Order: sequence, then structure tokens, then C-alpha cells
Amino acid sequence: MSYGKIGQPLGRIEGPAKVTGEAKYTADVLLPGMIWGKVLRSPLPHAKIVSIDTQEAEQMPGILAVLTAKDLPDLLTGRLVYDMPVLAIDRVRFIGEKVAVVAAEDPDMAEDALASIDVEYEEMPAVFDAHEAMKSEAPLLHPDYRSYAHAPQKFFSDIPNVHSHVTWKLGDIDKGFALAKRVFEHTFNTPAVHQGYIEPHASVVAIDPDGRVNVWISNKMPVRARELLADVIEIPEERIVVHLAQIGADFGGKGSLMDAPLCYHLAKRTGRPVKMVMTYTEELMAGNPRHPTSIFLRTGVTEEGQIVARQAKVVFNSGAYAAFKPVPFVNIPGAKDAAGVYGTPHIRIDAYSVYANCVPSGHFRAPGDLQVNFAVESSMDMIAEDLGLDRLEFRKQNLLKDGDWVPGGPQLEEVRVAETLAAAVKASSWNQPKSQPNRGLGLAVSHRLIGTGEANTQLTLEEDGTIQVLTPVPEVGTGAHTILQQIVAETLFLSLDQVRVETASEIFKTDSGSGASRVTYVGGQVVQQAAGELMKLILAAGAKGLGCAENEVVFEGGRVVHSESDGSLSLAEVAKMGGDGKSALRVKKSLNLSEGPPMTTFTAQVVELEVDPETGQIRLLDVVTAHDVGTIINPLGHQGQIEGGLLQGVGFGLIEELRMEDGQVSTLNLGDYKLPNIRDIPPLTTVLVEEELGPAPFHGKAIGESSITPTGAAIANAVYDAVGVRFHDLPITAEKVYWALQQHSGGEG
Amino acid sequence: MRAFEYREPDNLEEVLSLLHDHGEDAKIIAGGTALVIMLNQRLIMPSYLISLRKLAGLNSVDSADGALQLGALVTHREMETSPVIRDQIPVLAETFRQVATLRIRNMATVGGTLAHADPSQDSPVTLMALDARVGLSSSGGSREVPLDEFFTDYYETVLQPDELLTHVQVPLPKPHTGSIYLKFLPKTEDDYATVGVAASVEIEPSSQLCRECRIVLGGVAPTPLRVKEAEALLSGQKLAPELLHKAASVVQEHTDPISDSRGAADYKREMAGVCVRRALEQAWQRALTESP
Repeated sequence: MSYGKIGQPLGRIEGPAKVTGEAKYTADVLLPGMIWGKVLRSPLPHAKIVSIDTQEAEQMPGILAVLTAKDLPDLLTGRLVYDMPVLAIDRVRFIGEKVAVVAAEDPDMAEDALASIDVEYEEMPAVFDAHEAMKSEAPLLHPDYRSYAHAPQKFFSDIPNVHSHVTWKLGDIDKGFALAKRVFEHTFNTPAVHQGYIEPHASVVAIDPDGRVNVWISNKMPVRARELLADVIEIPEERIVVHLAQIGADFGGKGSLMDAPLCYHLAKRTGRPVKMVMTYTEELMAGNPRHPTSIFLRTGVTEEGQIVARQAKVVFNSGAYAAFKPVPFVNIPGAKDAAGVYGTPHIRIDAYSVYANCVPSGHFRAPGDLQVNFAVESSMDMIAEDLGLDRLEFRKQNLLKDGDWVPGGPQLEEVRVAETLAAAVKASSWNQPKSQPNRGLGLAVSHRLIGTGEANTQLTLEEDGTIQVLTPVPEVGTGAHTILQQIVAETLFLSLDQVRVETASEIFKTDSGSGASRVTYVGGQVVQQAAGELMKLILAAGAKGLGCAENEVVFEGGRVVHSESDGSLSLAEVAKMGGDGKSALRVKKSLNLSEGPPMTTFTAQVVELEVDPETGQIRLLDVVTAHDVGTIINPLGHQGQIEGGLLQGVGFGLIEELRMEDGQVSTLNLGDYKLPNIRDIPPLTTVLVEEELGPAPFHGKAIGESSITPTGAAIANAVYDAVGVRFHDLPITAEKVYWALQQHSGGEG
Repeated sequence: MRAFEYREPDNLEEVLSLLHDHGEDAKIIAGGTALVIMLNQRLIMPSYLISLRKLAGLNSVDSADGALQLGALVTHREMETSPVIRDQIPVLAETFRQVATLRIRNMATVGGTLAHADPSQDSPVTLMALDARVGLSSSGGSREVPLDEFFTDYYETVLQPDELLTHVQVPLPKPHTGSIYLKFLPKTEDDYATVGVAASVEIEPSSQLCRECRIVLGGVAPTPLRVKEAEALLSGQKLAPELLHKAASVVQEHTDPISDSRGAADYKREMAGVCVRRALEQAWQRALTESP
């Protein structure tokens, strides 16, 4: 099918403002009389707060307020379960937890005052490893967990510190293992990694004289943020306005209130607008990184190499609070993919989310998917080798097929994994003889169900004949607004410049915001439907204006045309006439999708790399990423998602690690916490296995969280192929490879 | 960042007089790429910041009397692109090209990187291997110090509080000399070196024996580390794998790395050996190709 606006490679609507520096982020908000807030953080991983003396700080020059928990309502907050205090109440649970906050005329004065706050702590036994935290002798971080608001009763556990235990099952796991000829057990671990967005969390709060609370916040779900803020500051939602600024990337990490409640309390105390901007050190110490994860897999395979049973135990280190997890079961959804892309009749997956005295973990692009895929796809290679099977053939033999079920998902239709895998293999040098020593190839395959949720929009035909599209979804850098513009322009047969996408949060009650690769799917559908309804209103108003029946007019060349009389009206003319002669032509629409479509999307990657045996250094020579795609709405944005995700996958596989020792993050700046740089981008081949067959408008599919997932496993498998060393832990640094090779060669080197 | 008094003198005399009056409480700022981070992190809290932005005369690259004279304010980017440097001491341009990113190189200065004395920096290592000297001035007079004797500890040098590093003198390499800087970056391409090695080898063209060599490492000690014991092993010798291994293990004994996000100490020590071997071999090869 051919379209006008769909399929055009378009630059971003907000792009020019961003590259010229005109775009306004929350940290750019400047209000008359504005002051700055800074927090004092705990230096201890677990301790009772005996006393806090703020007297000296309060008397320092430029200091306008110093607050501790006793100045705040006794309330907890969180994206779903409310388990985190705004400032530590009686007790700190991780290094970096907020203990006191200072407001000052400038941020340096605030910083100076922090040093004068005297906190007396009484240390408590701490636990840092999730497995240790699950032991009976472990200190309990949240003895009252079950009483927290929105704590998920259905997923409570009797295991110490486990705040959510979710099980996914297919078939009968015991029966599955009874069918198996061979049973394999493997364990893998992955570290905490930070989202690495450029913009650190920022919040601004200004309270109007009439009590209205104005909020600017780096948050991708402003409607939900308003709801959460209302609860924790005890102000009705109607009295809160969340103003939408640009967001300097999210990657899953910008769904919380972060410092906004503190800004409110400081603003209330001082009568001045308050701004708080985290430093990157604070981001790395107390942001909400990807969960450190341990994955245990038990796999039953028949003599013929058919996988018949998969048991998985996935343990997520939740850190000191579960507050950054948004899903109702307060666990990490990616665990459900522990059977990978393989049709497995008997599955049991147990996911444990566990409190420990570390930085609280949160969502990061494809949450849980990367960790679990690293385990699953590494184990596929290991099992194949053990069974004497070719690793590609072993995969092919077990791939999902139409009619298979996936845990936590639907019975699948239109399964295109075989085609996707074949395309990746074909575009790589998989079938060529091994060229040189220390070079290797690895592959990995993943799938991802599209995200569901609620989306809203309001479309208005403005008096100048243009369409205003209001969305509560802020642009987090994914190109979402450009996609919405394309969908509306396509549906209404208009040019792109006739459609303006603007953000507004206050006119919508609930909304899921940006995340889970849902915007094009749910947000796209709601604007598409609204545009269809608006077209009906336009035709009706046009017919009325032309003095004819609705079925006698058509929309042609941007005008409502009465074909018989040749009379016509422009959109501006129709707009001026209005719907009922007075009000504007407007459609406000909401769409709540709780069930996803019966299809998923697949990614297959082949990595070719070379290991320097003298140093352990890994050089990526070639990466092929193949994607099962539908109609591509914006090819430029689509490719950007693929490349950006893949590079984050490279970071996860080779580079990134929020290093922690006894709960203390040691990589506290971006000089030490290294992210992949533009010069680290490997030669990349993208293969799109296209078919106009997706659930999103115009048969599109999701792409945002696809390419990031299999890269770590593909790298690990390629390293094994190159030098025969298997890594069960990420990232695979040169140092790890070097020592493993030393050991491998019997310590001769 | 704490408040400070900012001065922007336009002549050297005034800079030196400000340093004379406030040296202990003052910091010099040129490109600011290292200093501003330290100010922001409150690692330093000077009362005075003396900017060299308006100072003329310290930003040229001159070739005279068998040496290059580099003004302290020459930027990394200028070092990387200067036709004179590329022609006369290419390894210098190669080294500066490997520092950080273009944005940083446009700002960071030669004098700044030396005075900053971070042992993980690249260019001090190469400059030391090239036998460079630095010129230091105060209102009381001037002196020249070989780079060998300039660095004293992590972020510390022989610079007195009232002194300014004004220029760097790099002798042109003798004929039949090959030099190389190897930056070992096992994580990302944009990082400080886990280990950096500069090697310079001068050979006797007829016999191809090493006449003289210099081996300097970065990232493995509190200062750039010159290993004279390893250099001595090579002089009068022929390029051979065993020789390089021997030199490498002598170098390893002299290293004193710390464990950090760029590698554990024991790994850095191992890599120092590998990198020294590779650097010497490449420098030697360059010396051979230099000789007809």
C-alpha cells in the first residue's frame, strides 16, 4: 500500500529547536524570585537516624529553608507501590538516600549549607546482594511492606525482603522434565547500568497566590505524575498543573517524581519558586538504574534436541525501594521471556524482586529483557555444544511457530522468527569459513510483545484551517510527536505543516505516557481514530455550509466539495462556521488497550568480533541486526531507534557497569561510568524483514525496545566462538577476557 | 563551585604579579577543561582565578635551533593540525589527536595539560619521551626544567605558587629515530588510557642496533613514568622478541598502578608489559623505515 505521509523519512518536529538551543528543558525554566534546592544524602547503606541538627545550616547566608522528614507529612510515594519517603523517615536504607533538603538563593550556597547539617546515625546491619537478602538471617529492609499502599497482595512472598514474587506458567513443568532426556542448569549475572540520558532529573515548582501548584518535571508520564504528586503533597489533582518541557531522553528512567515533592515543600515554606537539578553524580548514586539480575535456567531437552521444559528463577535486586517500578505486580516484566523465542510446552518462571541496601532500581529500555535474553541465548549455545548440535540448527528446530503460546502473552499469530533469523544469518558471514584465529561469530534472537495502556488526544480544527493535536505524551526524544503528526496528516489528507502537535496534560485525566514501545501503537491509534471522527465533523459542517446533504460532499484537495454544484469550502471557512455554528470543531478521545494483539516482533543479531589474546580487548568487526517489521511510519526515526538501541546493547555487553562495593557506587561521574561513544559504533548492517502486518496504525510494529535486547548475548556467544571462553557475567571487559584466557591456557602466558 | 575573584590580565607581567600576590590562593585558567571540573566538584576552591584568555604571545609554534618552541596556550587541536609539528615531530601530532574529543581539544592547552599533571594524560608521556623541557616564569625570574624532573606526584609538579608555565621546548628527533605513542583503550574509544606508552628509538643505521631509546608510561604511576633501567637494556642491542620481553618485564617491576574503573592494578601492570613491547617494536620499525 502506498501512503502520502506514512513512510516518509522525516526529521523531528522539535529537531531545529533542539539543535539551535531554543528548546526549553526543565532546567532552563527561570521564574522571577526562583531559588534552588539541594539535598543531603546518606553516607551509610543502612542506619537509624538518631538526630539531625540543622541549626547551623539555617543561619548561613542565603539559606531560606532547611527541611527534614519531621517537617513533611508522614507519607510515602512510588510509581506504583508507595514505599519510599520523600526524605528519610527515622532510617536510611541506601547510600545516597535523601535525608535533608536546603533551599538557598543559589545552588552553591545550598551546597555549602549541606556540609553544616549534622546527622547522627546508628549503623544497622546491611545486605547488598539479592540472594543474601533472601536468607532468613538477612536484615529486613521493610518489615511493614505488606501495609504499604498499592503493595501487590497477590504477589507477596514469605521469603525475606522479597516484595514481589511473580510466576508465569505454561503446561506442567514436572511433566516437561519427565519428557527430557537431558537437563541443563546455567546461572548468569548482569550488573546495574544507568540509562545514560543527557538530561539529569530536574524539577521546578511554583505555587500561585491562589494556591495552584505549577510543576515542571523531567517526567514522561505527566498525567500520572500529577496523580502521584497529588497523593504525596496532599493537594487535589485539579489544583496541580504539570507544564510540559522537553525531555533530554528517558530510556525508561524518567517516570518518577524524583525531587518534585521536595520542590513543592520548599516552595510552600519559602513562598518562592524552587528549582532542583540533580548532578550526574547524584544520578549515578541515586537515580534508578537497570536492575542487577541473576538468572538461573533449567532446561529439559529430548534426545532429538527438542526443548520440552524450561524452568527459570530470575532474581532482581530492587535496591532499597520498589518505588521506581510502575507495573501492577511491582516486578520486572522481562522475566517472562525466559523461554526466549523457542516453542516450549512446559514452562515455569519465577521472578523475585528483592529489597537490598543499594540504589533503588528502575526501568531501563526493555526492562528485564536484556538480562534474561543474555542468559537464554548463552544457554542455547552451551546446550547445542553439549548435545553436539549446530547452534543455528538447534535454534531453528525449536523456534516459535504460529499457534504457540508465550508466557504472559497471547497465542501467537503471524510468527516471523524463522524469516528474521534467516535474514540475519544471510546478511552476515555466518556461512563462510572462519577467516582468522581469535575471530568469532555469535548470534542471538529475541522477541518483544508490544506495550498496552491508555492514550488520549484532542484534535481541533483551528480557525486558520490547521489541525491542533493535543497530546499528554511529552517528546522524550523518540520522535513520537513526528509520528503522531504523520498519522493525523495521512488520515486527514493534509500536508504535514497543516498539523501541529502540542502537549497539554491538564485536560486529560489518566494516561500511560511514553513507555513500553506503546506510543505509536496506542497513541497512534487514538489520534487516528480522533482524526477520522474529526473528518466526519468537518464534512457535516461543510455540507451544512454548502446547503447540501452530508452524503453529497467529499474532501478533496484540502476542501469540502459539493460535487454537483462545484461549490466548496476551505478548512478555514469550515472552521469559522464551527460545529453547531458556534463552537470549534473538536474531538477529544481516549483509548484504553488492556489486551495486546496476538503477535510479537522479533530481532535476530549476528556479531562478528576479534579478541586480542594478549590484552583481552574485543573489537567488533561487524554487527547484523534483522527486524521483523510492519509498515515503517518514519524510516529515519525507525533506523535511529535500531542504531541507538543496539549501541546501548553494546554498552551492556562490553562496557557499562555501575560498580558497587558494599552499596557504594564507585563510578560516580561519566568519566568513570563509561558509555559507548560515537567512535565505538561498529560497522552495522540492518535488515528489515518487511510485511504490512502490524497492530499499530497503517500496520506498523514496535521498534523502540527491539535492537537493544540480543546484543549482549550475541557478543558473549561470539567471544566463546573466538577464544573458547564462556562468560556468565556482563559486561565482558578486556580485563575479564584477559584473565580468563590466562587461566584457559593453564596460566602459561 | 565557590565564588572567586576573576582576573583577565593582558600581559605576562601582570599575570606574574598577580601570582606573586595571590599565588597560594590563585589558580591559572587557560582552556579550563580540567580546572572547571575540579572547581565544580569543589576539589579546589581558589579565591582568585587568573585567566590567560587575553594574554598574547604564548600561542605560537616556532621551530628554531633544532627544537620546537611551543607556547603554553597552544591548543591540543593546534598541536594535532599544525603543519610544522606534523612535519617535524609527527608523533606529537598523533598523540594530541588521541586526547578526548574535538570539543575538548579545541580548548585544552599544552601548558594546561602539563601543569594539571594528571598521570593518565597522553601528551605529557610523549613529551617526556621526546626529552622536552618546560619554561617556568615568576616575577623573580625564569627557569627551565626537563620534563623528567617536572612531575612530583598525582596532580603535583615543581611549579611554585608564583610560577607560570610559559612554554615547552621539544628538541627535534635525531636522524634514524622512530617514535610512537600507544594508547590502550580497552573500554571505549573516548577514555583516559588504561595504559599509555611513548617509546622513542634511535638506531645506528648500518648495524640497525639501538643507539638510544626512551620509554615513558602513563596511567601506571603517580606521574608519567620513565623507565631508564629498561632503556639501558636496549642500547647497543638488536630488535628481538626476547629483548622486548625482557624490557617489558623490567618496566612492569617499576609500575605502581592503582585499581580504578580503567582496570585493576594487576591488569594494568600486565598491560604495561604488552604495550611497552608493542610500542618498542613499532618505534623500532619506524626508525628502520626512516633509515634508507
